[in-house]
Amino acid sequence: MKRPLTAAAVDRRGFLSLLGVGALATTSGGLLAACGSGGGGAGDQGMATQTDKLLQLMPTYKPVELIPPDIAGVGGAPNGYLSYPRNLVQAITETPGTSGKEISAMAPHWGTVPPALGGNAYYDAINTRLGVPVKFSLQDGVTYYEKLNTILGAKDVPEVLSIPSWNVAGLAHFSDAAEALFTDLTPHLQGDKALTYPMLANLPTKSWLECIWNGKLMAVPFPSDGFAWGFFYRKDIFTKLGAVPPTTAQELYDLGKAVTDPNAKRWAFGAITWEVERLFGSPGTQEGWRKNPDGTVVNKIETPEYAAAIEFMTKLFTDGLVHPEMMNSTGDAKQLFNSGEMLMTTDGFGGWEGALATEPAINPEFDMQPVLPYSHDGKATPIIRGGGKVVFYSFIRKDLSEDRVKEILRVMNWCGAPYGSQEAELIQFGVEGQHFTRGADGTPVKNDLGNTEVAAPYAGISGAPAIITPAKYFDKVQARVDWNNAAMPFMEKDPWEGIRLEIPSKVAALKQPTEDKINDIIRGRTPLSELESIKKEWLQKGGEEGREFYAKALSDNGR
Amino acid sequence: MPTITDERASGAAPVTAAPAVRRRRRTPLAARLRRDWPLLAMTVPAAGLLVVFHYIPTLWNAIAFQDYNPYAGVGGSAWVGLGTFERMLSDPGFWDATVNTLALTGFQLVFFFPIPIALALLLNSVLSRRVRKVMQSVVYLPHFFSWVLVISFFEQMLGGAGLLAQEMRELGMEPLNIMNNPETFPLLVTAQSVWMDAGWGMIVFLAALSAINPSLYEAAASDGAGRRRRLWHVTLPGLRPVIVLLLILKLGNALSVGFEQFLIQRDAVGAGAAEVLDTYVYFQGVVVGDLSYGAAAGIFKGVVGLVLILVANRVAHALGEQGVYSKQ
Amino acid sequence: MTTATIKRRHPERPVWEEEPSPVGKGLKGIALTGIALAVVFPMWVVLVTSLSPERVINESGGLVVIPGELSLRAYEQILSGGTVTRAVLVSTGVTLVGTVFSVVLSVLAAYGLSRRGSVLHRPLLFVFLLTFLFGPGLVPSYLMVTGLGLKDSYWALILPSAINAFNLVVLRAFFMAIPQELFDSARIDGAGEVRILTRIVLPLSKAVTAVVALFYAVGYWNAFFNAVLYIDDNSMSPLQVLLRGMVLQGTNPTGFAGPTPGTAVVAPNLAIKMAVVMLAVVPALLVFPFVQRHFTKGVITGAVKG
Repeated sequence: MKRPLTAAAVDRRGFLSLLGVGALATTSGGLLAACGSGGGGAGDQGMATQTDKLLQLMPTYKPVELIPPDIAGVGGAPNGYLSYPRNLVQAITETPGTSGKEISAMAPHWGTVPPALGGNAYYDAINTRLGVPVKFSLQDGVTYYEKLNTILGAKDVPEVLSIPSWNVAGLAHFSDAAEALFTDLTPHLQGDKALTYPMLANLPTKSWLECIWNGKLMAVPFPSDGFAWGFFYRKDIFTKLGAVPPTTAQELYDLGKAVTDPNAKRWAFGAITWEVERLFGSPGTQEGWRKNPDGTVVNKIETPEYAAAIEFMTKLFTDGLVHPEMMNSTGDAKQLFNSGEMLMTTDGFGGWEGALATEPAINPEFDMQPVLPYSHDGKATPIIRGGGKVVFYSFIRKDLSEDRVKEILRVMNWCGAPYGSQEAELIQFGVEGQHFTRGADGTPVKNDLGNTEVAAPYAGISGAPAIITPAKYFDKVQARVDWNNAAMPFMEKDPWEGIRLEIPSKVAALKQPTEDKINDIIRGRTPLSELESIKKEWLQKGGEEGREFYAKALSDNGR
Repeated sequence: MPTITDERASGAAPVTAAPAVRRRRRTPLAARLRRDWPLLAMTVPAAGLLVVFHYIPTLWNAIAFQDYNPYAGVGGSAWVGLGTFERMLSDPGFWDATVNTLALTGFQLVFFFPIPIALALLLNSVLSRRVRKVMQSVVYLPHFFSWVLVISFFEQMLGGAGLLAQEMRELGMEPLNIMNNPETFPLLVTAQSVWMDAGWGMIVFLAALSAINPSLYEAAASDGAGRRRRLWHVTLPGLRPVIVLLLILKLGNALSVGFEQFLIQRDAVGAGAAEVLDTYVYFQGVVVGDLSYGAAAGIFKGVVGLVLILVANRVAHALGEQGVYSKQ
Repeated sequence: MTTATIKRRHPERPVWEEEPSPVGKGLKGIALTGIALAVVFPMWVVLVTSLSPERVINESGGLVVIPGELSLRAYEQILSGGTVTRAVLVSTGVTLVGTVFSVVLSVLAAYGLSRRGSVLHRPLLFVFLLTFLFGPGLVPSYLMVTGLGLKDSYWALILPSAINAFNLVVLRAFFMAIPQELFDSARIDGAGEVRILTRIVLPLSKAVTAVVALFYAVGYWNAFFNAVLYIDDNSMSPLQVLLRGMVLQGTNPTGFAGPTPGTAVVAPNLAIKMAVVMLAVVPALLVFPFVQRHFTKGVITGAVKG
């Protein structure tokens, strides 16, 4: 790990070296190249023994590109398509199902549950193509964590279980659960064996790396686009007020001062903490841990960048630039943002998609845009905090016959057919004529039956690489791809990437009390000078254990 | 047959309780079983359901004495004795949360508990049948709101961007800080609870009021007792068993003052004001996946609740009340 | 009681009750109005918001106080889901069967424990009281329910929550308040326990029984967590599970199931949330009059005199 960093590390402020362009180009580029094109890459010796072992588990990466993108994503960012493809390809010719025996599957769901198997033509259509019925149990996405905790603890799982990545993080002893309950997929997918399932071999190696538990490949990933959050602003209102997006922290503050006007029921900021930490370069990976160029492991709470971010945030709160309703956890950021009561907020890109789908019809002027990456002084290289590389993991139950596992993998392979395939259209829109009709430009438009019956579950049990299409971004495809491409070079590097970390509960339990005390500072309830004593208490109550744990994880893996 | 009736009758009267005890000891268990088996048989179905669906699964709380791993099971996890309890009870954060919880419970006992009773008395005194019925059937409706909605509502009325604040700004005043003030937080949460649940809590008292014999009022009135005296000597004695019962049960729950309400408003007023035992245990146990901690905290709460119930019941008996369970 | 006051007397006022003072009357009026406003105003806001299109909600920045344009879209969206009818039937069935089941068992048990000096009543009472204090874990409860073969069975929505210790001790407290002479005379007449319960205790305890039935019914109607745990078959979902799903519509953290272009206008999320609140309130409003009927005075007098 030290080697590729040095060049970049010398001439920049220490803390940025790890996250800067140089680091990313050599390490993650090398990793992708190594897996992507069969070992022809830079041969990154920094990823020593253990990681090499992990890499050996990886399925061979063989991209499937049915239609060339209109705008290419750079550095691993998703590709963009400006129109719906005219000629769809049948990606899979063989019928995946052979047994005819119903596959039981469970997946989280956010929204109206469609009619169950037996009364749902969409399910029937896909199951016919699959040659084997998949019976989904769709479960409330919000209580899914409790459901998982219960069924895993009771060892009562369906044949296919889809688990969101953020749920995995909270499930205690999950690697034991994986061992006890799920099939080891290594014998089926390692190396060139994955080529039997071309759509699974099409999934990025970075997402497969996150599917390893106990040194085995345990799940099939639904890959994410790799970004966590964006910082969005109301371009339409900005234009009216003559404001422009900030390029330094000072500008952000001045902007906040200028646009906030409680009498007009307008505040500058909504969810802001995450963005300010990012802006000042406070580490964002692994609960704020990072590896300094000198090899030491530190937490954000110990860094000057974090202290600067807290000081800045305190100003935003005490000067009343944050919408008062955002003080409570009931504050509906989307609602306040859509109504123009606040002008800038952090949101997931899914939030942008949702707003694009509904808001322009209500307010034609509505224009939500992400702020392009910038740093606090405008000079330091900005960082962009990355998200997990996996949205959902699909696990296959243990103790199934070899043939059954293969059949399920073939079903997942079918469900993973990418954009531009007939399979993907069927999954996303249902049957033409029955669930959707085509618009003038060929774009499918769902009818009432389509809205009732078509749900995401099939896409949830495997997935194609992320892409940007008008189906979600309308006329903003270019804007999204531009942001991705601008942000990609600044992506913060996670030194622990691919290493499965199960944090000691003493360290994990320290998080909330510390955050509470920091929060007291930000809201002006305790003075900024308290930060020092918070840090001391943190160190003494488990911070040092945390450091040892994270450092050991790195040294165990030769990083 | 007559002797049995006699015995029960004497058992009912507190004054003669002592002789009753002596006499009962002479009645052999077999005879008492023979006498009371229909009563037992009536209780068995409900008790049986609880044993199956509550007690057997509750035994699992033994994991409080383990370093529990759900995939190793209770049998396969290491026993750590009182380790988890020691960790929990030696943690100042745990006691801060406990003290906070008890303070809030105390506050609510004074400022929340009497309100449903007062509300029931007020509505019961409304003479117009129509007004009474309409009032009775709307006051409990906020009970169906979720905490998120209740707090959003308070926020939109009293918060920094709410109706009151905007009104004050228009008048050129500095808006009051109601929603983000740690000092007045107990008042705020109690107001929220009252608004949400006072009407719902009233229903049981309405039922109790309807069980009071009206001829008692008539008799009291003809003895010259005024409104206040009738309230004191007829109404309150009629409500007393229910009031005492609910008070004791509330005490048994003293360490559970709410969860969601506090979780939602935690950032707004800070953990110092909003941390209650349930939220503390949530962050220390549930969030970090430490099931043993959660179970230990559950046992702690249960034991404290049990002690409080027993003590409160003793006090109730001393005051001549029936309490949750009778003396004998 | 002069003739002058008799003229103005409220027809419902008992003859023995004196006229209240004007001040007392005024204060009572103010209190009642204040309480009514505190409840009706938010209900109004919830109703108006549930009927507001997104534009109006946006303009008000959240909950809507003054109605602008009105739209039934939220209700249409909730009720048009193909599975709603079935879910309503499931919830109604579970609520009816569950309430009857719970009330019968609770009344029996409360009566069984209400007799002073009866054998074992104290330990048995503790069996109920302790459930109030110590709760089971999710995993063992799940193992028990699935072990009994109740997974994907409607009984899984009833049996685990059938007995509520609070309801039970409340019933018991009311039963114990019934004058002892009534029991004694019944027993002298040779009545057995079942007969005493059905002929004396229950007729005198209509109000509390109705209240407990209401508590159980509301509990069953609004319960969703047991369904989350024990019902995997989506066609068996009760209404609350379905409604929660609708409230979550569009909140998918990944955004991948977001609305697709050209779909019908989606009702605003806040309107749906408020419509769901209205749907929780309406059944209660419908049922409450049946409970209230029993809040009449004078039941015991009648019984004692008769």
